[in-house]
Amino acid sequence: MAGVTAKMTWHGTHFMCRRCLNEDQSKFTSFQCAQCETTCAYCRNCLKMGRVSRCSELLIWTGQAPIYPTEHRMNWQGNLTPAQQKATNELLDSTKQSISHLLYAVCGSGKTEMLFKPIHHLLNEGKRVCLAAPRVDVILELLPRLKIAFPDTVIEALYGGAEVERFDAQLILATTHQLYRFQEAFDAVFVDEADAFPYTADETLQQAVRKAAKANAPIHFVTATPSAQLLAMNKKNGNISILARRYHGKPLPEPRNETLWNYEKQIKKKRIPKKLLNWTKERLDKQQPFLIFFHQIELMELAEPLFQQLDDRICAVHAEHADRKERVQLLRKKEVPGLLTTTILERGITIPNVQVAVIGAEQKIFNKGALIQIGGRVGRSVPNTSGDFVLFHQGITNAMDEAKQEIRKLNKQGDPLL
Amino acid sequence: MNSCLLCEKPLDDQPTWQQFLGIEKQTSTCPVCLAKFERIDSITKNDQLGSIYSLYAYNEQAREYLHQFKFLQDIALAYVFASDLRSVLIDPKKIIVPIPMHPASKKRRTFAQVDALLEAAGIPFQELLQKTTESVMGEKTRSERLAIIELFTASADIISNEKIYVLVDDIYTTGTTMHHAAHTLKQAGAERVEAVTLFRATGKK
Repeated sequence: MAGVTAKMTWHGTHFMCRRCLNEDQSKFTSFQCAQCETTCAYCRNCLKMGRVSRCSELLIWTGQAPIYPTEHRMNWQGNLTPAQQKATNELLDSTKQSISHLLYAVCGSGKTEMLFKPIHHLLNEGKRVCLAAPRVDVILELLPRLKIAFPDTVIEALYGGAEVERFDAQLILATTHQLYRFQEAFDAVFVDEADAFPYTADETLQQAVRKAAKANAPIHFVTATPSAQLLAMNKKNGNISILARRYHGKPLPEPRNETLWNYEKQIKKKRIPKKLLNWTKERLDKQQPFLIFFHQIELMELAEPLFQQLDDRICAVHAEHADRKERVQLLRKKEVPGLLTTTILERGITIPNVQVAVIGAEQKIFNKGALIQIGGRVGRSVPNTSGDFVLFHQGITNAMDEAKQEIRKLNKQGDPLL
Repeated sequence: MNSCLLCEKPLDDQPTWQQFLGIEKQTSTCPVCLAKFERIDSITKNDQLGSIYSLYAYNEQAREYLHQFKFLQDIALAYVFASDLRSVLIDPKKIIVPIPMHPASKKRRTFAQVDALLEAAGIPFQELLQKTTESVMGEKTRSERLAIIELFTASADIISNEKIYVLVDDIYTTGTTMHHAAHTLKQAGAERVEAVTLFRATGKK
């Protein structure tokens, strides 16, 4: 079938990409094609996977569906807390009934482990399972854990630039972008970090997940910060499990608001604002690893040399640094006292005893979800189950208030004494 | 809302007076992406060509750009350098001649990249040359390139001799392509031949 279809409407031609289901007309480019010798159009939304145009063909497998083994060993001996046990059983029940399930579990509650049992059940029924996440980092972190948990299963990870041998693997780990490649392929899809960028911002990714799943296959979402839309959707036609307590049973750290006026101006004048300076010095004195979040790469890069005057090992990490994993590893090993970062490190990383500051918490990019995720870095592991989580701001936003309220609410819900 | 052709981030296009008066050009690329290209404006010459003008250095950003433009066939990227090319090439005394592609390769790519660049820039051109082989320079070693006898044929004899013929290509590496094209044009009767390329491979990688 043609990769891009065109429909004539009263206000012109309306294109649709059959691969990524993109219908945003600004993402199509028309040109005089030398191949089909007409005015052709192609989709720029999924261009990086190879161009799809009106005169290119998309191929769909119409032969026999692959048959998967029904015996899989699960090699995981960890213990689940009673709350985790309950959630994983609820998820399993929904899977059996093919009902979409939202696993709403706070940062550091051991979400991945709760997926093992339902995935194992599906694999043993010879079903094909997809575990998707919007970010490559999450996929790369999950892959070794799943390979250990299911040693006999054919598992393949799909992400931009991955070398893929087995597109037909029974358990597929994929970035949500890669799901453009699939149509009615999976008996169940788990979407991890379902609130992360770009999944929530890009309608075509949400459609890709639906397209990749079979008609009545359940689509499960796993997140610490579900959007109102996701909550509403699963309230209406799905199930929800809420895990308000971390696996170690201690409450989530509440954010502390501190004013920091004109931080941009001061950093541009090559000066670290006083409060921030004191906070950083305190961390250095106490030898606590720290993360400082910035809203903008440019500002962070201006601040980097200033922080290096305090300690020359402090460095900055952002999306375009190829070695960002190594730098985080250095922080974990305490070879680096702290990192400056953007929201790229807001999720998925665990550093024992890390302390967190957000510069410019009033900025738009720090929405409720991002702030909760950032706070979720603090106090994840025993024995340092709490830590400082400070929001430096020039005016409190709704997002800051809502994040604080949400954390309080969850702490109350999860309080074992209530 | 327009977004940057290269990084997909939304362009911050506040309406300005300059835009309204038509002084400022509409942009399709964000300043962050554009800054990663290294402008060199290098001009050299040799015995065949009166001048060889290259706008940018072939750096990492240029490599990525050409990869997306040519191999991922993203013809929309022709607009990134539209105004740059226009300011260099718009001259009634000059006849613009794009370095052609072999018809079979053009069909495979679905467009000819140099023609696309010129069309995006809104510059009229004449297809005076034809490629004889399907082979591509990028796949050859230097010695193989220099050994080729004839790459192009002229499709018509050149009549208007007062004009300057300007060859246009996307990248200048060893100069073999330009040398052959200039030679063919001169055989056909052109007096003065110049060249303009978007990128130039500099010694350092």
